[in-house]
Amino acid sequence: MLKKIIIPLILVLALALSACGASQPKADTLTKIRLPLGYIANIQFAPLYAAVEKGFFEEAGMEVEFDYSFETDGVKLVGAGELPFAVVSGEQVLLARSQGIPVTYVAAWYQKYPISVVSKGGLGIASPQDLKGRRIGLPGLFGANYIGLRALLFSAGLKESDVQLESVGFNQVEVLATDQQEVVVGYAANEPIQLKAQGIDVTELRVADYANLAANGVLASEKIIADDPELVRAFVSAFIKGMQYTIEHPDEVYALSAKHIPNLADLDQAVQKEVLATSAEMWKADRLGYSDPQAWENMQDILLEMGLITEKMDLSKAFTNEFVP
Amino acid sequence: MKKSISRWLGILSILLGVFAWEYFVRLSGLPRFILPSPLDVGKRLVESLADGSLLYHTGVTLLEVLLGLLLGVTLATVIGYSVAKSRSLEKILAPYLVASQAIPIVAIAPLLVIWLGHGIISKIIICALIVFFPVLVNTVVGVRAVSPALYDMMNSLRATRWQVMFKLEVPASLPVLLGGLRVGATLSVIGAIVGELVDAKAGLGFLLKIGDFQYDTSMVFVAVIMLVALALALYGIVTLLEKRFLKWQQTAS
Repeated sequence: MLKKIIIPLILVLALALSACGASQPKADTLTKIRLPLGYIANIQFAPLYAAVEKGFFEEAGMEVEFDYSFETDGVKLVGAGELPFAVVSGEQVLLARSQGIPVTYVAAWYQKYPISVVSKGGLGIASPQDLKGRRIGLPGLFGANYIGLRALLFSAGLKESDVQLESVGFNQVEVLATDQQEVVVGYAANEPIQLKAQGIDVTELRVADYANLAANGVLASEKIIADDPELVRAFVSAFIKGMQYTIEHPDEVYALSAKHIPNLADLDQAVQKEVLATSAEMWKADRLGYSDPQAWENMQDILLEMGLITEKMDLSKAFTNEFVP
Repeated sequence: MKKSISRWLGILSILLGVFAWEYFVRLSGLPRFILPSPLDVGKRLVESLADGSLLYHTGVTLLEVLLGLLLGVTLATVIGYSVAKSRSLEKILAPYLVASQAIPIVAIAPLLVIWLGHGIISKIIICALIVFFPVLVNTVVGVRAVSPALYDMMNSLRATRWQVMFKLEVPASLPVLLGGLRVGATLSVIGAIVGELVDAKAGLGFLLKIGDFQYDTSMVFVAVIMLVALALALYGIVTLLEKRFLKWQQTAS
């Protein structure tokens, strides 16, 4: 938790003490890229693991190393020019840009906002309206879970004060299973599947059914886009190849991912395969990686309504489809 | 003449620090989200004071700190006094007392929130825990440092147990105890923040988190400044207490 104060401080010191700029990569060696994913190693990151294991990144001249640090730290590092790319949820881009952080979303990964509000079947929570007055457990008042929930509430005309939010960390499955919470917020491709696998009957309200919002994708710094657009193009292209391959060959990619996920073999294989399949459903599009301008407009509206940003911004700078094949 | 200059030295040094900070930001060209300038932070400070939010959140943290201090200091002095008087009690409690210090609060704070709930109680307990050991140690040292000659004197005057405690032990151990309280006061602020960083809907730690998640580094600085002010205020109060209760020490020397 204190890490959140220390990392910006270290950033200040590092930047103050370091020489200017990153050195240009040599043509005959692979560009090393450290990519923050914002969550722990998980089968949901299969497209990236596929891009590594099937050599798509290597073909594009890069060597990608995964970093599982916090989403907001990833954004800051990209904004500061320390890292070229990060995988983040859509709202982070607008939040960052509203604070003057020069980052741009260059490829969409999820076409549908992947958050679900889950409750036990018996409670009969069939629509967002039914959430009024309820206690809801979520990891914290940050990130996609929080934004997704607020969007869902907003679609039913509810405000944050109409419900009672409680931070439960990334323990949504346990707290719902043990009835510590009646309603929890999580990723559609993760928590509901795990709960069903435990034999718990759950009702799911998918945010994507009620709101079209800009979801997870690849973030790049304005700097790298200006200095090395070919690198961005190559990265996006390799990423989308990884996505395509995963959609077409889920079992093969599942096996390849084991190398990147330390305890995959210890988990319920059927559950994990379903996690992958459900995730893949949310990536599919006629043009993989395409960012829908309407989804971005909607996200801006939600953030304005939540008071997280105070004024509209030039969305054409926030995201771009120019690198998407 | 000299006295008034020395009083201004503190303020002067802070002003100098602020100027150096502003100069550094301009010189380095660091973006606002990495290092905001004093002007950025000042603007944010005024904004959050104006809408009342800063005072509200400071009040929440202050409440946690004060209640945590009260609980922690009370437990520490009571247990400390008992331990000071009984070597066997000390040996029995030693593992738990040392553990209370050694266990990193940051690590068990999430557990405490799960056990004690999301409300203010968990934060008060975390505060009390962090304050407990330093104040305990100082109580034990302070009480044990009372000179045997003074005990003999009280005995010869046929003092009762309570009289010995209140007229000898308490005043004699007060200097060391208040020293421990100074440390405790500043630690208590840390405790409240650790609790709030785990889960809170209000308070300065909450503001810190929100500031971080919204890339509002100026807000983070504002929250930190208020925390520092809070800790300084508490420290100052203990210093005043020292001056008031230890007047006899100064006149004696």
